[in-house]
Amino acid sequence: MTSIGCAGLLLTALALAGRWATLLPWGFVGVGAGYALFLSLRGGTVDARAPILAATFFVAAELSFWSIEGRSWRSERAVLVRRVALLFSAGLATAIVGGVLLLVASGRRGGIGYEAAGVAGAVLTLALITWLGRTEDR
Amino acid sequence: MTRSASPKLGAYAGLAALGLLAALALRLPELVLFAAPFALVAGVAALQVRAPRIDVEVDLAHERTLEGDLLDISIRFDPSDAAERVDVLLELPPGLEVEEGTNPATLRLSKGDERVLQLGLRCVRWGAYRVGRVHLRAHDPFGVFKHETVIDRRQALKVYPTQEAVRSLLRPAETQVFSGNHVARQKAEGIEFADIRQFVAGDRIKHVNWRATARRGELWVNEHHAERNADVVIFLDVFAEARRAGRSTLDPALRAAASLAARYLRQRDRVGFVSFGGTINWLLPATGARQLYRIVDAMLDTQIILSHAWRDLVVIPRRTLPPQALVLALTPLLDDRAVTALLDLRARGFDLVVIEISPIAFVSRPRGEVQEVADRLWRLRRDAVRGRFERAGVPVTVWSDESSLAAALEEVGASRRRARTSRV
Repeated sequence: MTSIGCAGLLLTALALAGRWATLLPWGFVGVGAGYALFLSLRGGTVDARAPILAATFFVAAELSFWSIEGRSWRSERAVLVRRVALLFSAGLATAIVGGVLLLVASGRRGGIGYEAAGVAGAVLTLALITWLGRTEDR
Repeated sequence: MTRSASPKLGAYAGLAALGLLAALALRLPELVLFAAPFALVAGVAALQVRAPRIDVEVDLAHERTLEGDLLDISIRFDPSDAAERVDVLLELPPGLEVEEGTNPATLRLSKGDERVLQLGLRCVRWGAYRVGRVHLRAHDPFGVFKHETVIDRRQALKVYPTQEAVRSLLRPAETQVFSGNHVARQKAEGIEFADIRQFVAGDRIKHVNWRATARRGELWVNEHHAERNADVVIFLDVFAEARRAGRSTLDPALRAAASLAARYLRQRDRVGFVSFGGTINWLLPATGARQLYRIVDAMLDTQIILSHAWRDLVVIPRRTLPPQALVLALTPLLDDRAVTALLDLRARGFDLVVIEISPIAFVSRPRGEVQEVADRLWRLRRDAVRGRFERAGVPVTVWSDESSLAAALEEVGASRRRARTSRV
């Protein structure tokens, strides 16, 4: 578990040092996998730290991609301030909304129908995002 | 605008998918929290993606400037849509450098809010440029999609070479028929005293030399040298150049050519221009300020174009090289074709002066025995070329970083004065 997490961190560090955007997600996958393994081995109630960890994970991912953007010049102050504010607002929103959702989810269990709908929704959303991302208009 | 997705989109979509699937498979609601922000960012960015409409105008403070001067340039943005982050890059040719302001820059543009980006460009090298090609790259707030475009608002910018200080100019051996500042050999109306002679009918009383008349008992009058102009042709050798660290032998050659043209034109001489090399450019000799602009504009188009074709003086129109013109050749003496053409000019009776733009400063120091031998051979060969000119009666002066153009011209002037004295 620890070794998976460490491997993920190592991959992330390597991707940041080499500015490899394609390698960076694999580092996050490693860290996430380590956390997932920790949760599954742990059992019992939901992890109360999860919203904070999720927010940290998201902010870390954003900052990692920002650092490898390859921009060698300084942005103007207003742009920088807005970007930092947006990033930390998103992190804060993740923590708060995540905390509320986790609170609601921990009290009830869904049936097979809910799970199937969830899988279908996730797959459809991702397919739509990928399609939109690949199209180019000139 | 061309739209493209950043690597973030695939990464976030993948992370979201893996997180959601792992949450379902392992029945861990915590993993949904990990996946949700990535899915949300990717989804919102994909739904809101659109190209911002931004109008761009580029204004140059001047169309003409001098080498080394600072030029203000403003890039005006008139956005019809808001853009969270826009990377702006003004494409600059190698002779122009940004000294004030940031290029590239990242701006935030609000809808309908006009913005102006001010830049101060240092014109490092002379030349004719076209400036105003702006590259724009607009990002959404999370940088998932980017839209890129190139807006072409190029305008002509002429950067003239700076002038060298020239104290005294070389006097042409022969003058022409129009009035000017050179004392001609011919006797006519003028200021410089030439001789005295006996009075003849028609002579003006004001020219009577009363002392000579009193001494000789008959009327004697003064004769004067006429003040005439001259024809000067600036001959620029552009077959080859020595170049190092952005500097080239062509730069001092052009500065010298511009300075000499300006000075000769100021004293009412007719000045022509020939750039002789891979491409041939010429301007017929003429006088006046307009001719100076024509010459400098012609110089700005000058560049070294590699050519192996043999060229001689036949390709230059005859009127470009008027008889009795003083030809000032600016050459690094690197190409035999230029040397042959110049010797040919001398053989045709032109009053020729060679100003050698020394390429020595542009040559790396030899390392090792073989390079040292090659370097010595090359220098000996250059000495031999100078010797050929000297045998043909052509003065050669070397202008390098260590000396000024004025000193080089003074050296030639002195040698020409000595040569004239010995002939008498």
